[in-house]
Amino acid sequence: MNKLLHTPEGFRDVYGTEFLKKNIVKNTLTDKIKEFGYMNIETPTVEYFDVFSSNIGTIPSNELYKFFDKEGNTLVLRPDFTPSIARVAATYFADYKEPLRFMYSGNTFTNSSDLQGRLKEVTEVGCELINDGSVDADYEIISMVCNLFKALKIKDIQISIGNAEFFKGLCEESKMDKDTELSLREMISDKNYFSAEAILDGTSIDAKLKNSILAVPDLFGKEDCLIEAEKIAVNERSKNAVKRLKDIYELAKKDGIEKYISFDFGILSKYNYYTGIVFRGYTYGSGDAIFKGGRYDNLLSEFGKNAPAVGFVATVDQLVEVMNRREEGFALCDI
Amino acid sequence: MRYLTFALTKGRLANKTLELLEQVGISCEEMKDKDTRKLIFVNEELKLKFFLAKGPDVPTYVEYGAADIGVVGKDTIMEEGRKNYEVLDLGFGKCRMCVCGPASAKELLNSHEMMRVATKYPIIAKDYFHNEKHRSVDIIKLNGSIELAPIVGLSDVIVDIVETGSTLKENGLEVLEEVCPLSARMIVNRVSMNMEAERINNLIKAVREIL
Repeated sequence: MNKLLHTPEGFRDVYGTEFLKKNIVKNTLTDKIKEFGYMNIETPTVEYFDVFSSNIGTIPSNELYKFFDKEGNTLVLRPDFTPSIARVAATYFADYKEPLRFMYSGNTFTNSSDLQGRLKEVTEVGCELINDGSVDADYEIISMVCNLFKALKIKDIQISIGNAEFFKGLCEESKMDKDTELSLREMISDKNYFSAEAILDGTSIDAKLKNSILAVPDLFGKEDCLIEAEKIAVNERSKNAVKRLKDIYELAKKDGIEKYISFDFGILSKYNYYTGIVFRGYTYGSGDAIFKGGRYDNLLSEFGKNAPAVGFVATVDQLVEVMNRREEGFALCDI
Repeated sequence: MRYLTFALTKGRLANKTLELLEQVGISCEEMKDKDTRKLIFVNEELKLKFFLAKGPDVPTYVEYGAADIGVVGKDTIMEEGRKNYEVLDLGFGKCRMCVCGPASAKELLNSHEMMRVATKYPIIAKDYFHNEKHRSVDIIKLNGSIELAPIVGLSDVIVDIVETGSTLKENGLEVLEEVCPLSARMIVNRVSMNMEAERINNLIKAVREIL
């Protein structure tokens, strides 16, 4: 194999029109986020392994690019920006109590399997709102996703919001062990109703609660699914989770963007650090969500600062693909 | 309205799926013509498209959104490891993934001695031996007639799909351990599930009713 003339699998050169298109998308996103008062921040591409370890809860360790420095410390290429931003906020703004707004853009790296047509290095743009645990903060982030789609002139969009607390509330009530919760979590986020049923049948959880948990994969759609969710919420924790989504929906109605919003209680992100709302922004032309985000109130405490936070990330490469595939292409943007 | 596209696994699974869909009022007349050379079949009335693909490709088409919905065996889903929603167990195409070999291999299987495993499903085999049996193995990937491997001495055991077990018996092999049960599943693309929530959800509910 001649390793001189082509790039490793999952990595690529970007030049010419593609480079311009990528820049348009990136600049449109960052300009818009700046309008919301977010401050640019740059964190290193390389971090200590500990920043992305399993108790922080990012991606599985075998999907990280790892190597050693001269002292034998394990380093990784960042797979995700959020833990780095949390580290920055906790170290440089330890005693700062006012809301902090950070935005970033850069490349992330995932060592996924070959031959699946997935890029291992992608460009991401995102932002984080720290020190604000209110519903207004949740809504600021969600309405921003809506605004970013609009800024790119993407029309057919759907923002699906769930709440990690809802499922956690049900699990807490059932007193199931961690392993069962983890396997259930995986089945429910795959909407795999029958496997979830098989797992629950092997436990001694009472029938009513069992039915509540089994209803989670089906709890998605417009406003009515909030009413359904309210019916099966068993404790304070799960009830509050539904209330939070209702409040967000009310705020969306005021701005007239409620038609873009739907709910999905089965979104249980593989990033374990989410503690409140979890959402995805979808459109046609891409097989996966374009925007991903949520609330992570415990992550900063891993770095020594107790502060709530919420944020999202958009994959630029995917947006370019979506815009290439639509009829009008990039014609609506100024190159 | 947008078209909803189905990717079906070529062969028996596709026929069974079409029978099932007919029961919930979805049919595709174009597909019944056995001599057609068409690749894509359309139901204009319900705005549906269908195409046939090789089993292992179905999860791939669905993951990238080239198809919204797919029907494929659980073995393929496990082996391919694609990110899709797995929404229904359709109940047909039932069989088992098993470790098979001559009766004499039983002892080796339960020891920690090095063992060679031939299979068409290296990911499933690796996952089973590493994470459930907690043992090291040498895995050899083959592409067909897996039963041949222990007979000619290429491997000690095989991991393969067993339906009736008659092929095994004829060749002096038997089921040594069951890895997992298998059947046909309906999978849905993650974006389609949200963008077309109502149509897809109604379909799932209708099929779940008759199962």
